[in-house]
Amino acid sequence: MVSKLLQRNAHLAVPATLVVVLALVAFIRAPGTFTYTGLAGAVLVAAPLILAAVAITPIAIAGRGGVDLSIGPLIGFVNVTIVVWLGALQISNPVLVFAFAIVVACLWQGLLAAMIIYVRISPIIVTLAGYLILQGVNLVILPRPGGFAPEWLADWGWGTELLGPVLYILIAACVIWFVFQRSPMFQHIRLMGADERTAYTSGVDIVKARFAAHLMAGVFAGLAALCLTGMIGSGDPTQGNTLTLQAITALVLGGTSLAGGKGGITGSILGAIAMYFVFVVLSSFNFGAISGFMTQLSYGLILVVSLMLSLLTLRPAPRPA
Amino acid sequence: MTSGNVAVRRLLGPDARGLLIGFTLLIALFAVASMLVEGFASANNIRSILLLAAFLGLASLGQTMVATVGGLDLSIPFVIGASNILLAYLFGTAIPPALAILIIAALGAVVGLINGILSYRIQGQALILTLGVGFALVGGAQIFTTIGSQYSGTVFSQVPAWFANISSISGKTFGLSFPPVVLIWALVAGLIILWTNRSVSGRALYAIGGNRVAAARLSISEFRVWVTTYTISGVTAAITGMLLLGFSGGGFVGVGDPYLFTTVAAVVVGGTSLLGGAGGYGATIIGVLVLQVLTSFLVGMGLNYAAQQTVFGLLILPMVALYARSPHIRYQI
Repeated sequence: MVSKLLQRNAHLAVPATLVVVLALVAFIRAPGTFTYTGLAGAVLVAAPLILAAVAITPIAIAGRGGVDLSIGPLIGFVNVTIVVWLGALQISNPVLVFAFAIVVACLWQGLLAAMIIYVRISPIIVTLAGYLILQGVNLVILPRPGGFAPEWLADWGWGTELLGPVLYILIAACVIWFVFQRSPMFQHIRLMGADERTAYTSGVDIVKARFAAHLMAGVFAGLAALCLTGMIGSGDPTQGNTLTLQAITALVLGGTSLAGGKGGITGSILGAIAMYFVFVVLSSFNFGAISGFMTQLSYGLILVVSLMLSLLTLRPAPRPA
Repeated sequence: MTSGNVAVRRLLGPDARGLLIGFTLLIALFAVASMLVEGFASANNIRSILLLAAFLGLASLGQTMVATVGGLDLSIPFVIGASNILLAYLFGTAIPPALAILIIAALGAVVGLINGILSYRIQGQALILTLGVGFALVGGAQIFTTIGSQYSGTVFSQVPAWFANISSISGKTFGLSFPPVVLIWALVAGLIILWTNRSVSGRALYAIGGNRVAAARLSISEFRVWVTTYTISGVTAAITGMLLLGFSGGGFVGVGDPYLFTTVAAVVVGGTSLLGGAGGYGATIIGVLVLQVLTSFLVGMGLNYAAQQTVFGLLILPMVALYARSPHIRYQI
């Protein structure tokens, strides 16, 4: 039983070890992180990245080398539209704002899925074009950071209470995922990601499965955007963009294969937490002018090394003839 | 079969069709732009379009080679940025300029080599890997140039006049009033097209991109071809970064950023399939010119950078839909 559990979660060994080691280093370097308010702040700051990494997980599992490059600008898009459009309409009802964020993100993901399925362009091109389009659109909607989030949402940004809305959203996201994971649809997505031809010939509705993967991503992307908006309390057209690369790094670090068919959000969450600890540890050193570059250097190296580590667990795939 | 027959077949083949579509698009864009924007067809504007096209063209060269074998290289903008500030840094030291240029070109080759070797076993994830390498490189380069300087990210030094002449808008080529970088681009383009179309090692790119099993039966080393394309990409990106230093006069790491997706866009708009095995640098040249004419047109119409990006994104999708649709799953079984 135990050995079976260990075997099934072997891909989590790398991210889990990394999180423990980095947490220890962070505990020595910045003990403030592990106080009550420290943890509350950590949850607040890490939540957008965690949810963004969770969002791109089902798309990666769905295969065809699907990695959603547009996730960052999408989160930014929801952020600026909440501030600018809903602000102009004076809509600040929490239910409406939640619904707006999730529906907008799902619409975008549905559009991407439709392009991939019906126009039959490789996912990477679709999401790349999506990145370019949204990045520009965000700047058109809101040329520079500014505006105000609805008051209840901006209040999340104080980050003094651990048991606050951000933590509840994270828990809700996990619950949604683990319910989804039990559904036959998830098995279809996984089968499709592992081998689309086999899935198709076994009668899996691959159109439905791909749409489902993208809609799940949309739900999490909407939640990520709400957390980001709560954290910064205003609109920022460019802040979301940086999330793309970080989310992909967290995903790869978490052992989800970009080749499709395997992985889960536990890995992505661990990966995102590891990334957050890297950030904490790096900022505890006094690098002065080069601290930003150190972060860049370490994120790049971590991404490369985690990709190399994923090679170790890779079974030799049968070559397509 | 007569040679005339072959020529006609080539003209109707998919490659020629791509070139034809691109060329028509280019002419149409140029015609529309010259009608709507005053002074668009002036010598000055054409000179500036060609100059900027030369930078994008050199940066896209490597991307084309990599795309031909079915990969993607997203480290290009970071190599451009890093070589830009590192060359500016080296110009500020006692190292002779010519040697400094060679050092940076060699550095580009090494980065490309690393990209190729590391991504060989995980080809589907080459794009993420190259992104990681690029990030590490640009972070490292900035740490290197920042230590002992109070300006972070920007490097000031004297660029030699002969080097600045190569790529400045007022540069002279043998007394003619266009910058030498355009001529360099034309020469390099000619050599690359000759290499990929007429030599055994050049055709190997298409063999690998088309069908790896068949290529292996022909004793073509997939590893060698894969690594070679990435190395070419590293070198051309480094050269672009250095030439951009001559253009702007000061080292700036962000100089490569616009090239992250525009190199991919140029390759795709030209008609090289990202699935590998089809297209070529000739097609990319048309893609580069289309993008540059379009940029100049959009700027003339008063659109800002953000809106241009959106238009680029909107342009990529229909172009890919024209060239690189994968067959329906029922035909893949």
